[in-house]
This record gives sequence, C-alpha cells and structure tokens, in this order.
Amino acid sequence: MPPLALLLVLALPLAGALLIQLLPSERPVPIRTASAASSAVQLLLALACWRQPPADVQLSWLPKLGLQLHLGLDGLTLPLLLLTALLTGLACLAVPADLQRPRLFHALILATNLGVVGAFLARNALLFVLAFELVLIPTTLLIAIWGGPRRAAAAVRFLIYSAVSGLALLAAVLAFGWLNQAGFGFEFELLAQASLSPSAQRWILALLLLAFGLKLPVVPLHGWQPLAYGQAPTPVVMLLGGVVSKLGAYGLLRFGVGFLPDVWSEWSAWIAAAGAASAVYGALNAVDQDDIRRLMAYSSLGHMGLLVLALAAATPLSLQGAVAQMLAHGMIVALLFACVGLIERRTGTTRIAELSGLLNPLRGLPFTLGMLLLALMAAAGIPGLAGFPAELLVFEGSWTSFPRATLISLIASGFTAVYAIRLFNRVGFGRLDNRRADWIATTWPERLPALALTLLVVVSGIWPTALTDWSGTETAALALRSQPFLLARGPALSPLASAPAPITISTAPPVAPEVLPA
Amino acid sequence: MTPPTAASLEAPRRSSLIPPSQHRWADVIHRLEAGGSMLPDTPENLMQIIGIYKAYAVPMDFYWRDLLYIAERVFLNPLPAFKYLISQEYLDLPNSYAGDQSKLRIWRGGEKAHPELLEFMAKGEAGSMPKLLHHLWHDRINMEFAEACMQAMLWHQGMGGRFYDYLETPAYRANADRAIKAYFRGNPVMLGLYKLFPEMFMEQVKQMSYYANLGLFWEVMAPVFFEMSDIYDAGGFQGVPDAMNFLVNGIFAVAGRPIYHHVYVGDECIEIIPKSEGFTWLYEAALPYVEAVFYRTAPFRGTKSYNAQAGQVPADQADFHYGILYADVFPVGSAGIPPTLLMQDMLHFLPPYLQELYKQHRRGEEDQLVQLGIAFQRSMYNVTSAVIQALRTALFYPLDDTDPEHLIANRRFFEAQMDRFLRPEARLGDIQTQDYR
Repeated sequence: MPPLALLLVLALPLAGALLIQLLPSERPVPIRTASAASSAVQLLLALACWRQPPADVQLSWLPKLGLQLHLGLDGLTLPLLLLTALLTGLACLAVPADLQRPRLFHALILATNLGVVGAFLARNALLFVLAFELVLIPTTLLIAIWGGPRRAAAAVRFLIYSAVSGLALLAAVLAFGWLNQAGFGFEFELLAQASLSPSAQRWILALLLLAFGLKLPVVPLHGWQPLAYGQAPTPVVMLLGGVVSKLGAYGLLRFGVGFLPDVWSEWSAWIAAAGAASAVYGALNAVDQDDIRRLMAYSSLGHMGLLVLALAAATPLSLQGAVAQMLAHGMIVALLFACVGLIERRTGTTRIAELSGLLNPLRGLPFTLGMLLLALMAAAGIPGLAGFPAELLVFEGSWTSFPRATLISLIASGFTAVYAIRLFNRVGFGRLDNRRADWIATTWPERLPALALTLLVVVSGIWPTALTDWSGTETAALALRSQPFLLARGPALSPLASAPAPITISTAPPVAPEVLPA
Repeated sequence: MTPPTAASLEAPRRSSLIPPSQHRWADVIHRLEAGGSMLPDTPENLMQIIGIYKAYAVPMDFYWRDLLYIAERVFLNPLPAFKYLISQEYLDLPNSYAGDQSKLRIWRGGEKAHPELLEFMAKGEAGSMPKLLHHLWHDRINMEFAEACMQAMLWHQGMGGRFYDYLETPAYRANADRAIKAYFRGNPVMLGLYKLFPEMFMEQVKQMSYYANLGLFWEVMAPVFFEMSDIYDAGGFQGVPDAMNFLVNGIFAVAGRPIYHHVYVGDECIEIIPKSEGFTWLYEAALPYVEAVFYRTAPFRGTKSYNAQAGQVPADQADFHYGILYADVFPVGSAGIPPTLLMQDMLHFLPPYLQELYKQHRRGEEDQLVQLGIAFQRSMYNVTSAVIQALRTALFYPLDDTDPEHLIANRRFFEAQMDRFLRPEARLGDIQTQDYR
C-alpha cells in the first residue's frame, strides 16, 4: 500500500464530517448512513493496510517546534485502528433515528474518530498530543448537548479531568523533548533512545501516569467516569469506553513501557498495586450500583485495573494480554452499552430498581437481554468468549512479576460474575410491570450494532488469536526494553521470550508484514 | 335456555334509599347494585369477553370429555400415559345441554365435540402426523390446565357444599373399595398394594371423583359459552350486563344438575357417587370451582418465585390469591404455568374480530397471547360477577327492593365480596380501564 493510505485513513472521518454538512437534508437516517459509511471505508482501508502494510508518512509541519506529520502503523496500532473504525461505525448505527441536530452529532463523532486515529497513527509525540487533545472537544460537546439530565455537570467534570490529562501529557512530552541530552525532537525514534537523568525520567513518568491514568481511568483518577458514562448518549459512551479509554492504555504502553523502561520497572510494583486497587474498587462499587450505566462504568474501571496490572508486569505475555484486553474490553464494553442503550430507549430508564422481567418473551426485550447476558458473561471471563483469553493472558503474564496483585485482581475479577448475576436477576427475571411494558419490540436495524459486537465477542472467544496475535513481536520487544533480564532467563517465562525480536520502533520501513496475523 | 329478554336485563338505577358506599371499590359496588358487572360496560369489553368465551369453550369441550374419560375409564391405571388420548366414544359423548337429544338445550349447536376442536385435533399446528407425535410435541389441547384446576378443587377442599365431606363417609369408601377391587380384578400385585396401602388408593379415587366433578361442571359451561358467542354474532347482547345476566340465568337453569361419579370396568358400571346422593351442580361444583380456581388455586412457579420460608405464601389457605382474578398473566413460557397452557389453547380458537383487535394494540400478533390472557381475566371477572349476583339472588334481596334494610344487607354482601379485591395483587382496578391489555 502507498503511504497515502495512512493519510486517507486519517482524512476519511474529516471527509465524512464535511460530506454530512453538504447533505441537502437534515433527516437523521441519510446522515447516519453517511457517517457510518465513512467509518466502514476506514475499516476496509485499515484491513487493506493489514494485508499490505504501508510505509510511514513523514511530512514536515512545524519543524522549529519539532512537530511533524509522521504517521506509521505497526502491530500495536493496527488492532487499535481496526477497533476504532469498527466501533465508530457501530456507534453511528446506534444513533437513534429521531435524534435532534444529527448533522452536528455525527460530525462530532467523526471528529472524535479523527482524534483517536490520529493519536494511534502518530509517530511524533507532539502530533500525538495534538490528536489526544482533539478528542477532548467533540466528546465534551457530545456529552454537553445530547447527554442525560445531568449532562452539564458530566461535561464540565469530563472537561476538567481531560484538560488536566492533556496538560500533564503536554508537559511530559515537552520535558521529554527538551531534557533529552541526545538531542531535541519529538519523533518516537528519538524518544526511544532518549538520554534523560533518572530524576527527569521519574518526573516525566509521573506526568504520564497522571495523563493516561486520567484517560483510562484508574483509581483514584476516575472521578469523571461514572458521571460521564451515566450521562453520555449511548453512541458516545460506546466510543468513550471502547476506544477513547484505550488511548490511555496505549499511551502507557508506548510512552511508559516503551520510552521509560528503567523507571517503569522501578515503579512497576506501585503501578501494579494501583491496577489491583482499581480492579477491587471497580468490582465492589459495581456490585453496589442501582443504575446499569453506573454499574457498567465501575465494571469498566475494574477491567482497566487488569490492563494496568498487565502493563506494570511488562512481561511478553502480560503485554500481549494487555493488547488483547484492550481489544476485548473495547468490544465488550461497547456491546454492554449498546444493549443498555436499547433498554433505555424502550423503557426510558436504566435504574435497576425500576426494571424487571425484561426477559419476558412476549412483552419484554428478550433478544436484547440475551445479548446483554452474553456481554456480561464475556466481561466475567467465561471461556469461549472474548474476555477469557485476554484475562487469562493478563493473569498468567502478570503472575510471575506480581503474584499478590495478580491474585487480588483475579479475585476482583470474580466479582464480575456477582454483579452480572445480580443485575441480570433483577432486570431480566421477576415480574414485568404491565403498566410500563407498553413499548414495542426492538427492530433489527436497532439491534444491528449490538448483534455485530456479539458475533465478534463470540468469534474472538472461539478464535482467540484474533485478539492475541496482532502484536506479539512488538510487545515482546517492549518487554525486553522494560525487563532486559528476560533475555537471560530464556524460554522459561514465555515462548515469545525464546525468540526475542528487535525493537520495531526504528527509522526503517515498518515491519508489520512479519508480525501481523495472516 | 332462551336468551334473556330486554325487560329482564334492564338494570335498576342505584337506589337513593341508602347512602353511597365508602368502600374502596364503591364505584364497582354501586355498579353491582345497579345490576351491572364488575367489568365496566363498554362495547370493547363485551367484544373481548364474548370472543374469549368462545375461544375458551372449544378447548373446554375437550376438557370435560377427557376429565370424564379419565374419571370413568382410565380411573386408577398406574401408568396413565395415554389418558389425554381420549377414546372416540367420549369424543362423541352427547353433551347434555346441546343437540336435539338434550332435555334442557342451552346451545343451538350439535351434541358431539365441536367441529373446530375436531379439526384442531386432526391437524394441530404442525399438520397431519400420528396422534402420539402431536401429543409429545404439545401440539394438542393442554389437559394439564384442566388437571391443575381439578387439583385446586381437591386441595382446597371444604368450600361449601357436602361433596368433600361425603368422600370421608363409609358409603363412599365402600363404593370406592368395590370399584378398586373390580378395576384390579385378576391383578394380584395391585390388589396386594391396595391391601398394604389402602389410603393411598382411596386418595386416588377421591381425586378421580374431582375429575368427574369438574368434567360435569364444564359440560354445562361449554354450551353456555358457545351459545353466548352465537347470540353475540347475531347481535343479541347490548352490553356487558346482558352477558352477565345470561350467565346468572344459566346458573339458575342448571343449578340442580346432578354431580356424580361412575366408573366403568368392562361392561360393569360402579356408582362411586350415585346420582341419588343429590349433589347438585351449583353448590357442589360451580361455587367450589369459582372459589378454588378463580380466587385461590396455588402459587405457581415461573413468573414469580414464591418462597414459603420467606412468608410469601400465606399460612392460611383462605388467604391464597393465585387465581385468575389476581394473576399476572405475563407468561414466561418455560415453567408450565397452567394459565399459560390455557392461553395457548385459546389462541387456536380466537374469533377473527379478536385477532383484529389484538393486532391493533401493543405488539399486535407478537403478544396476542398476553392480550388474550388479559381478555380472559376480564371475562372471568364477568363470570365472577354473575356468581356474586346469583348468590345475592339466592341469599339476599332483589336489587329493586324498596326496603332500605334489605338494600343495606345487599350492600354488606357486595362489600364483603369486594373486600377480597383489596389485596394489591387484585386486578379489579386494572380491568376498569381499557388500557390494561
């Protein structure tokens, strides 16, 4: 593929947003179709890039500042790009047909896609910051304009937390560039070989942990999440949970594990502890929630804790598990919220106390509840579904480094089954109130996003290499940067360690063909 | 039986001789005092209840025949696997209240099994295939519903009348003993077991007597409902009170119909409960049936899990409230709830005007099972109203009585009946509006 393909991937959402503005009609369905189509083309293009990886795009933008439009694709970014394109398309399809001001809504969704894809493709830290910050504006507007009754508070809180996150990231990146004794610049290759004093490394990692910890989020930086997830419209929360939060995980992997391996190793025990604390805190809070959206928010927080644990361990297996968990969680959380969105659209509420008997085959929402059950099972790590291989890799990969934190996270993960069963028992079973159950059945077009995700969750569970084989070489290389002693330990830890690959972040053309699954 | 005349149906206006009721269901009580039903008098309500009576009557035509077949022929068969595969003799059994041979003709139609029933039994939903496959596929009339009703009557026992008490008498036991010995003649194993566990066999015979009781009760109700449907189709009913009064008149017309239990062993007929005992339809079958089935029955599994240890099931049987008048008709379709089975049976015989009505509301054809269940609930409130009015006629005073003391006595009777609907589970409030579907 020519390098232009990467520019095209980036330009597609922009073109889609412009196309929507030019559509003669304000009717939601054509607008929805246009935005979903642009995401579908982006997905197809990303798949084409998988088969024939393009070379990097490198255009000078503001050379004095060290800003370059440097885009590249490797085994870490390709699965996330696919996930972003997929979830954006499905989020567009999940937009209700009676939405007010659909032109602006879809333009903002595509702008979010632009920011996330830009961040994933960036090979320049300043470009990454720009894209990272770009996400903040459309998502805040989406919450503020189309959110629930407390949308203003949710949007303000999201804005403040995201602004702090963005500022911390900017400070970290600038410090990286300025304090690098090897030379000024923000290219990833430079940063990977940066020469920084130990104290500078610690300060930068602290800023990065703050920036990406807020984005993920992890305890205690999660204050924005329950409110934002509770108030954001369904398509937006599908993107927030499924894709935007992955920016934080990707950032930690790329910048923390990749660029600051020494200090990352030094602090990894604390990071693992934060991950375990998030897993426990998220799971216990989820058990206590009386609103499905908030329950999902805390569930997501718990699963992000597992992700952080895997990143902290930084073994080849755990990092592979982290990537798999990003993909699995992205699909599962999007599916959960797609189902919750359907329930909310029909019943008008997500309060658990007000819902019961939705499995009723004649007047309930049995199809939606069936998909919700499957999503909850996947979140609980039931074998045969997407959550299982990801969590297995995380736990197995982290056990050698942090057995206690892994054990605590494992127990916390078990609580997923508790709140899943509690939720399903209350919402699915029991008596359906005939006074309220006057809604019509969900239609197939409405079910489509959730149905597509359900199929993917099942297929990924049956064929787990679809989750795990994207980035084996990259994660193994990153693990070796973070834990060089693995080289000496040989194949005892993981088969991957027996064949260490060179670090793929280089000025050479990308090595994606060798590392991506055929 | 002739349709009620317009004069007999004219509902008297609420008397101003006594002050208004202060009961929570005062509006319903005033309606009953004016000769109305618990169900509001609207054209749609009339259409719903008559349509559902017809849909109910067709499977009921099978229920009563098979109940009598089991009580009289299957009897104590220890492996009654084929008890729902009724013999042709019982399918052709002439109904005592239909056809030319009947002494008191209620329905203008024939005395044999209803043509729609025969058509369904031949093909079912799945088309032509052996009877046994229809049975195993549940593509049939669900006799389990009828048996659940019978078991409710057996289990709740003493609800007026002398029937249950008679089952404890030496005369009944002697007849039952004779029937058991005749039925197992030449079967030393079963006779030996009878010797060892006589009460177990006696209990089974009592249950068979309730099979006969319910079968004879429904033998009357099926032609009543068929006739109501025919009258409605001919434009004969003007409102819900008309339909209720037809039932009241019917109740009194057949009140004296004998309730008995005969068993046939070969050519021999053994009268376990002879007609000469004088048990009658109204007091030994109709009233216990309404009490046991409409009001009480038993908690069923499924839609709501009742937990006896958590106090969700009343300790006193009299407080049971699991009948159709209280029922949540939302089926889950997996727990074998008896009303669900009846609703499935009625679904096959809905008149076209009800099918059209259901298509216009809620989820249309998708949830017509629920809609017909609620229509059934409405119709049973109307039947219960007929029973209440019949009891008032039998035990108290006419509605147009001018003596205030008599009207007060009627009022107390109605209020006592309405007290049973003060429970939160009662659907009396729901059926007052047309939105409840």
